[in-house]
Amino acid sequence: MELSRRTLLAGGFAAVLGGTVVGCSSGMDAGSTTKKNAATELTLWCWPGGLGKSVLDDTVAYFPDPKIKYSEVGGDFKQKLITTFNGGTSIPDITGIKGEDIASMLPQAERFVDLRTVGADAILGDYVEWKVKQATTLDGKVIGLPIDIGPTALYYREDVFTKGGLPGDPAAVAEQLKTWDDLFAAGVELKKSNPKALIVWDATDLYDIVVGQGTERYVSKDNTFIGDQDHIRKAWDTVVKAMTLKIDGKTASGSPDWNAGLDQGTVPAHVGAAWVALDIKSAVKSSVGEWRLAPTPGGPANFGGSFLTITKNAADPAKAFEVIKYMLTPDNQAKAFADAQIFPATPSAYDKPQLKVADPFFGGQVPIEIFGPAAEAIPVAYEAPSDVAVAQPFKDELKTVQSGAKTSDAAWSAAVSKAKSIAKRQGVQ
Amino acid sequence: MTGTATAPAATAVPLTGPSSGQRHRRRVRSYWRFYLALSPFYVLFAVFGLYPMLSTIVLAFQRWDGLGARRFTGLENFRFLIEDPTFWLALTNTVVLFLMSTVPTLVIALVLAVMLQSAVRFTSVYRIGYFIPNVTSLVAMAIFFGSVFSTNFGLVNAMLRSLGIPEQDWLGQPWGIKIAISTMIVWQWVGYNTLIYLAGLQAIPRDQYEAAKVDGAGTVRTFFSITLPQLRPVILFTVVISTIGGLQTFTEPQVMVGNSGGTGQSGMTVVLFFYRAAFLDNDYGYAAAIALSIFALVLLFTAINWRIFRGRGEDR
Amino acid sequence: MTRYRLRGVALHVALVGALLVFMFPFAWTIIMASNSTADIYRFPPKFSFGSQFDDNVRHVLANVAFFQSMLNTAVVAVSTTLLVLFFDSLAAFTFAKFRFPGRNALFVVLLATMLLPAQLAAVPQFQTMALLGWVGSLKALIVPGAANAFGIFWMRQYFQNSIHDELVEAATLDGCGFLRTYWHVALPSARPALAFLGIFTFVASWNDYMWPLIVLTNPDHLTLQVALSTLNRSHGVDYSMVMTGALMAMVPLVIVFGIFARQFIKGSTEGAIRG
Repeated sequence: MELSRRTLLAGGFAAVLGGTVVGCSSGMDAGSTTKKNAATELTLWCWPGGLGKSVLDDTVAYFPDPKIKYSEVGGDFKQKLITTFNGGTSIPDITGIKGEDIASMLPQAERFVDLRTVGADAILGDYVEWKVKQATTLDGKVIGLPIDIGPTALYYREDVFTKGGLPGDPAAVAEQLKTWDDLFAAGVELKKSNPKALIVWDATDLYDIVVGQGTERYVSKDNTFIGDQDHIRKAWDTVVKAMTLKIDGKTASGSPDWNAGLDQGTVPAHVGAAWVALDIKSAVKSSVGEWRLAPTPGGPANFGGSFLTITKNAADPAKAFEVIKYMLTPDNQAKAFADAQIFPATPSAYDKPQLKVADPFFGGQVPIEIFGPAAEAIPVAYEAPSDVAVAQPFKDELKTVQSGAKTSDAAWSAAVSKAKSIAKRQGVQ
Repeated sequence: MTGTATAPAATAVPLTGPSSGQRHRRRVRSYWRFYLALSPFYVLFAVFGLYPMLSTIVLAFQRWDGLGARRFTGLENFRFLIEDPTFWLALTNTVVLFLMSTVPTLVIALVLAVMLQSAVRFTSVYRIGYFIPNVTSLVAMAIFFGSVFSTNFGLVNAMLRSLGIPEQDWLGQPWGIKIAISTMIVWQWVGYNTLIYLAGLQAIPRDQYEAAKVDGAGTVRTFFSITLPQLRPVILFTVVISTIGGLQTFTEPQVMVGNSGGTGQSGMTVVLFFYRAAFLDNDYGYAAAIALSIFALVLLFTAINWRIFRGRGEDR
Repeated sequence: MTRYRLRGVALHVALVGALLVFMFPFAWTIIMASNSTADIYRFPPKFSFGSQFDDNVRHVLANVAFFQSMLNTAVVAVSTTLLVLFFDSLAAFTFAKFRFPGRNALFVVLLATMLLPAQLAAVPQFQTMALLGWVGSLKALIVPGAANAFGIFWMRQYFQNSIHDELVEAATLDGCGFLRTYWHVALPSARPALAFLGIFTFVASWNDYMWPLIVLTNPDHLTLQVALSTLNRSHGVDYSMVMTGALMAMVPLVIVFGIFARQFIKGSTEGAIRG
């Protein structure tokens, strides 16, 4: 048989024709199914480490009927959740939603139970207001109850700091490192005596935190793009400064290099949310007791902090609400903190004994003394549903500055034009 | 692959019977078995291949976030695509990665195959050993190569350090990312291509070499005047297979540098770009437009390949 | 003669060198998996096997449902392979040895489908799965891959070259039906080709990553590759543990390949490209 382009084309055409018939007659158009789950089991999804273990075990024991089935979903949680909604089968009754994803889920509010319809009003006052706001739609529906918040602090190695001629005591560090410029100056100082110790672990990681210290982000409340304005450019310049001073370690948090550097002293400091403590603790072996905490230079920010939501597929929303309400009481939030550094979203938990404990990992420091005041001073900024997508080009382009491939100005204009086009795509003015 | 598809249809066996009339009736009755035997592929393809592709065409003209209602937007997705710098970047990356990995792979494979052919002993040990990289877990190996190229603790940098060469931030540099990814692809695919070339080499008639020897041609000249021309169809086959594979590069960059494609989005391939648009940004209509554009490009490439091959074939 | 021998030695040195390069990542993975993370991060790197393997395995098992994922992967890979071997060889035999109306057109369509990058239709594919209620289930991985164009094309070449028409004719004269001819004549003679296709399919199915990543929403039904990438992504990861997981994911493939290696090598050289 001689194969030619023509026969191939003819074959392809025949295939297309044949397929059209199949396609039309089957009329496969998956509509959104909102079939209720069976009432025999209450399914609960969260990511690894998202909920305190003892709280979870206790909750499962406390609600025997229907039995709670907990599933730990690794990988990209939001992607899994959306495709599951989309797939229409095995949608959980209760699911966690990460802080960075909540804004983009608000337009999908009809997929979730408005917690105010099942009695949330009575307890919403227990949680920090700005966090509840993140899960509130513009027309007032509340789709999630806060699991935790992520107030930031400066984590640092006392031994490396003192050896490098910097203050080691938290109070003295707080006094000296008030702004980013202070921190960078200290970094230059430290590098002189210890060339391997770079005070900024990764400048592009730092960028998110600097942006989080402001009261505005990339898109304003009236849905216009403001990512090209001064507040963002300032954050950008701050981060670029760390790069030009050559005190940027370029080791993204969570990377193998970061993990190893924590112990080896090449990552002597990190600015991160309260939950980062768990990552640092699990990564280090030899530097236990050498770590300290100080307030974030330039003021606190929030990074992460998630929610529990109830889907419309829940067999019994009222029952599901009982479960999350129980799980996230101030008492249980305090317990979760003791379990896994999950920082309470309920200020009244800060006075509980679990949070007053001195932590030998931090040389006997009491973490809440740093995180507590930070939690209450976090600036509130409006986060548009498109925020994550619009922010991405800025982070991508910062990496090109970091690697030396582009100048700061060239990268900035590329970032702004990419962000603008993404914003336009997302329906932002 | 194309050259092999030209086997004459005469090999087909008519089901035999005593007389022609009887034969005819018997054949008609027997056809259904053949169609049944072929049906699994065509049915599966229609449901899981063709239907989704046709839906993709429709979806490319729609706006859909995967949850809400679909809305027709005409050519908007394509207009946006043409203006999207990331799309062009992903295309360039894919082509560059394809070249950076395919050229070394095929050259090394050819050299190894020629050497293997002249070796007498242990050839099956070599063949099995060379092929093993092709049967390993891709994710596991991507993790492995990620670690080898890690900045502070990677093996590559440890080697550079002991040689006194400054360490490189491999996975933090646009070119470093490409080197890491293509190194992995080369490592994985050399063995596979070696085996194919070896088979091709063994099919070259011995007497051609004998004749060359009599003419006094050296090893190098024999290689260029006999081996390479004879191997041309096989080389084309490997190029086609590599093109198909290279276009679908996804796991390596996704595991090594993450969904963003790393520094300067240097590891952003077209399939990763598509995956991100569809399953991370939930911009399904846009993803469909990306898919269609890529498909159009594949067709174009194939047509070019076809043309080159056919043109040469007719010369012979 | 000595010059000849010298060349032989040089040849084998080069070949062994290449072999070592190909094998090195496996050795290094084993070294990393048997040491602690701190050892991995040392400079100069440690080139010897450690004693932490048991510990690392325990960590892997504590972090992901490893055996469940492996079982899932095995179920998918084995069923896909068996189905592919059956459907593809049956179709290939039909194409290779019988004449019937529409044969050429069907074959052209088959070849044309090889050009379509299936990955790119993932969105509607997912919708189809949703409609069938297969999202999150292993069926979504097995069924679509149960027959493929490459295998049919490849086996057809083999049948054309390796089975003489007279053999098929003889079988038919002996009263063998179509299926019995396939089963008793075609299959036994195609063993190397089946081994090649089988391993090829098994490996591809075992390593499939993007589609399972998308379609396996149910956290209890992950495949090994997805579980492994989860292990790699989680924050504050224990590196020697990840490499242990990687090692454990590779071992079954190497074993399967080892068992069929000889047949496979034979099949790979006798197959399509000779046509």
